[in-house]
Amino acid sequence: MQVIPIRAAKEGMELAKGAVTEDGKVLCGEGTTLTMAVISRLEKSGVGAITVKGHPVRLPGEKGLKERIKDLEERFLKVKDDPVERALMRLIAEYWVESYSA
Amino acid sequence: MDKIQEIKDRLKNLKSLPTLPPIVSRLNEMVEDEDVTAVSLGKVIEKDQVLTSKLLRMVNSSFFGFPQRISTVSNAIVLLGFNVIKTLIVTSSIFDVMQSSDIGLWEHSLGCAAFSGIMAARRNIKNPEEVSTASLIHDIGKVVIRSEFPEYYAKIVEDVERRGVFMREAEEEVLGVQHGEIGGWLADEWNLPERLSIPIRFHHYPEKAGEFVEIASIIHISDIVIRAWGYGFGGDKWVPPLSHAAWEQIKFGKAEGREIMEELDLRLSELKNFTMEF
Ligand SMILES: [Fe+2]
Ligand SMILES: [Fe+2]
Repeated sequence: MQVIPIRAAKEGMELAKGAVTEDGKVLCGEGTTLTMAVISRLEKSGVGAITVKGHPVRLPGEKGLKERIKDLEERFLKVKDDPVERALMRLIAEYWVESYSA
Repeated sequence: MDKIQEIKDRLKNLKSLPTLPPIVSRLNEMVEDEDVTAVSLGKVIEKDQVLTSKLLRMVNSSFFGFPQRISTVSNAIVLLGFNVIKTLIVTSSIFDVMQSSDIGLWEHSLGCAAFSGIMAARRNIKNPEEVSTASLIHDIGKVVIRSEFPEYYAKIVEDVERRGVFMREAEEEVLGVQHGEIGGWLADEWNLPERLSIPIRFHHYPEKAGEFVEIASIIHISDIVIRAWGYGFGGDKWVPPLSHAAWEQIKFGKAEGREIMEELDLRLSELKNFTMEF
């Protein structure tokens, strides 16, 4: 699954999670296939981002999973001896791995 | 003249940033008055159309997370509080400079504001929007160094690139003071409330923030998580050291961490509607 800004939404994409407004109202359920009408309804209701199935969008500057993890580890080089920092790194890495595989 | 004095003097009379809108002193007078209402404050602000449209754009950008668009200034004051609105007005020139000269730092700031908003809500901090706002401007010290002291800034950047040090280590060597402190001076100069200025000053040393330790801790952790995520650019590529005192304030375990990651992913994607062309 992939979280994308609403402006990158295209017809035919399928929601991996329900689209929810900030105050918790579910506008479209999981599994909804996006149409122009659905996209514009979400936009009008102030939904800024949605979670879609697969990984359909390459956002500008976006790297592949492997490279993202490698960069992540490199950014932690100076603090890798701190167990809490290491746990934070793992948390992010696991979240990314999971979202690419789901 | 010694550098620290030079910097302090310059902050009183910033040359590189547009002067504060005259409206600020008028607003400051008005809030002293106990009978003033959000509507009357809003009316004064709305006389300045450029400011109003900028302000509404800011309050509607996703890090505050209001479901409905906020369409009037008085509405924004009611929802976000006057501290937030005033801070956004006072710092609006900084945002302009950041957006045009340092988009990486701008994204870093937006990302931190988003994460701070998530944590402030989860930890039931009152006025969570003030925490987001403080987080949004936590690195203003860096903007000022860059725009007011370009020679020093060039030296700092060179140090960061050549020696791989943290930006604030380079600041300390070149200026004798770090951007947190400079940001704090500036916030004081602008009479921002202590709830914002103290966490800004101590965002790298949150345990020193006294009664505002929780807010400072949230900003501290935000800076770490957003850099870790690789969102925007905070001046050097490293994840900074963690203050364990800050972590004790707001720590989360694996299960909550997982939820936080999901929320953050959504928020950061929302922000891309504002910062990215498709
Ligand atoms: Fe900082
Ligand atoms: Fe920062």
